[in-house]
Formats: sequence, C-alpha cells, structure tokens
Amino acid sequence: MSVKHSLLALLYEKPRHGYELKTGFEELVQGMWPLNAGQVYTTLDRLERDLLVESPGHDKKDRKLYTITQAGKEELWAWLEKPVGRSLFKDEFYFKFLCASHVTYENRQSMIRNQKETMLKDILHLTHLRKQMVLSDNKTMKMLIEGALLHLEADIKWLDMIAD
Amino acid sequence: MINVVDLKKEYKTGKEVVPILKGVDLTIEEGEFVCIIGPSGSGKTTLLHLLGGLDTPTTGTISLDGSELTSKTEKQRTIIRRREIGFVFQNYQLLPTLTVYENIIFPLHADGKKASPKDVQMLLEAVDLVGYEKRFPHELSGGQQQRVAIARALIHKPNLLLADEPTGNLDRQRSSDILDLLAKFHYERKQTIVMVTHDMFAAGYADRIILFKDGVIEAEVKREDDDYAKFLARFMA
Repeated sequence: MSVKHSLLALLYEKPRHGYELKTGFEELVQGMWPLNAGQVYTTLDRLERDLLVESPGHDKKDRKLYTITQAGKEELWAWLEKPVGRSLFKDEFYFKFLCASHVTYENRQSMIRNQKETMLKDILHLTHLRKQMVLSDNKTMKMLIEGALLHLEADIKWLDMIAD
Repeated sequence: MINVVDLKKEYKTGKEVVPILKGVDLTIEEGEFVCIIGPSGSGKTTLLHLLGGLDTPTTGTISLDGSELTSKTEKQRTIIRRREIGFVFQNYQLLPTLTVYENIIFPLHADGKKASPKDVQMLLEAVDLVGYEKRFPHELSGGQQQRVAIARALIHKPNLLLADEPTGNLDRQRSSDILDLLAKFHYERKQTIVMVTHDMFAAGYADRIILFKDGVIEAEVKREDDDYAKFLARFMA
C-alpha cells in the first residue's frame, strides 16, 4: 500500500492540512489500515522535497496546508496506470506446504484445517464488512470486498482439494 | 418476539417414529437477524416450517408476539401466515402461470386485499426488476426468480421473514445480491429474519447464529461475542 500516492490522491481532491489527510485516509480505507500522524508528516516532507506537493500557507488555525503540484498529478496518474504484478505463488502458506511435504510432516492435515479456519474467519469478517458497505451504499468498497471474498473462496476450494 | 418452548416434532414412517426436533427452546427478539446452520437432516427446515405455521409440532409451543401459534386452528394459522409472515424458499416456489407482478401481489390477493401500485413499484425497484412485471417465471434467471420471491415475501409488510436456503441454488454473485437485499430490508424495515443456510457467506450477515444438530440446538453465538468467528469457522471447517 502506497501512503505517498494515497496522500497525493487526497490532495488532488482538495488542499488539506496534515490532520485532515490522516482522517481522509482513514475514511478512504474505512479504518482498515491504521496510519499514524508521524507517517503522514514524514511522507508530506518527502513529497514537498520532491516537489510533488507544495504549501500555499497556513489556515486560520495556523495549520500548514498542502496542495498537489502538476508534477504530483503526473506522478499520481503514472502510478494509477502502472499494472500491479502479483506473486501469488510466493504465498507463505504455499511455502509451508512445500516444506511440510518435503519433511513428510505428519500433522499436514491439521495444518490445512487450521489454515481453512483462519480463512473462514476472514470470510466472516469481510462478509460483515460487506453488509455495512451495502447499507452505507459504498459501492467501491463493496467491490473491493467482493474481490477479496472471491480470492478467499478460491483458496478454500484449493485447501479442500489438497486435503486427503 | 418469537418464543419457542420444548418444541418436538416426530414423523411416522410405517411403524417407526422418527424424531426430527427433540426439544427446542429458543427466543428470537423483534428485529433480530438470526441464522440457523447445521448438517442436513438436523431439523432446521422443520423448525422454520413450524415457526411459519406451515406445520404443527408434536408437542411444545411457539408464541409470536405473545400469541400462541401452536394453539391456533389451521384457518387461524393461515391468516397469521398471510398477514404476519413472509417466506423465501430455496426453489423460489413462484406460481408458473402468473407474471412477475401477479406473483408479487399474490399474498395480498390471497388475503382478499388489493396491492398498492406504489408499494409494488417500490419493491420492483428494490429488487431491480422494473420492466420485468409482465414476464413469467420461466423467462427469468434463478437470481431474478429469487428476487421476485423476496418481493412477494415482503409485499404484505410482514413482521417476520423466514428464509430457507435463499441462496442455495445461486452462484456467488447472485447470492451476494440476494443477501444484500435481505440486509437492506432488514435495516430499513427492522423485520425479524430467520434464515436457514449452509452458506458461509450468508451466515456472516446474521446477528446471531444457531447451530442445529440431531434435532436440538447444539450451540449458538452472537456477533458481538469474541468467539463468534472461531465458533463458525470450527463448524464450517
């Protein structure tokens, strides 16, 4: 997850000060990823240093405001358009399974069962979150959750497939 | 509120008596969304049918809002069912010779009442079937048929919605659409929903999950309980 680009996206929408960026980020991700104030200000310093954002001054409460520059907008577009490669094969559980097979680990079935339990918990959590997004009519977040649920469904099918 | 006390149901096959429900005690609060899970043959659907007055118990009582359903005559139960309860079934159970519109208004029609065009329109919009009013069930996909069934179950504004595997015949996307609809109606109308399901994705929508096994309640868990996910995961795994 790129904090840098999410801050650029928030500043593309409107000028904001540091605290507004923190709350804006949390709203964007529905509180799913924590972001501390330190991370926000460190990232803003770097963005300002790289001329991707600039400050037009302070607001009435003397809080430093930030706006996105043209270079910042171009950086944001470039990032949005760049495809994301996924190394699904390098999954931690795949690797565990590989090692367990290599050493003919006796408890392989319980290992698979525990993994499935963990995934089912994730499904429950995401299903509940999905319901909340439906009720608040957050279509984008609903689509993301749907994507995650489809991945989990496929993972569970695979676990059933490898279980003896 | 639904109050079930020591509910038992047996079926006779020849000389053999097969107990399906072996003493169920259960309270469901008004506006609660309850999900019943459990292996096939554990008595889930039987309980749902008894709650809806479609069948009568061998012994035990069911009260709906303080009124004892189990002491009513069949005619009285039919009236209660038509006015207070909505049903959604796995196989939709639409009437094949009636159009979408006619199927939706059927519960009111059966009760000698007229449907408000505004209410029908609102439901058609909610289930995303505007423009399909004159079609027949065989002209619709499974997901569309289930959406008609949900509209039909809600047209008479029941206090209680009983759903038996409502997503059982649908693919994941269609299932999600149906669950979203139930969640929306539950949120907006504060109806009590009791849903039987095998589907993990459906169970996650409920406030409380009841696990049935061998005709009794084996365990139950509320969403706010810490071990909610663990409980379900253990069962579903």
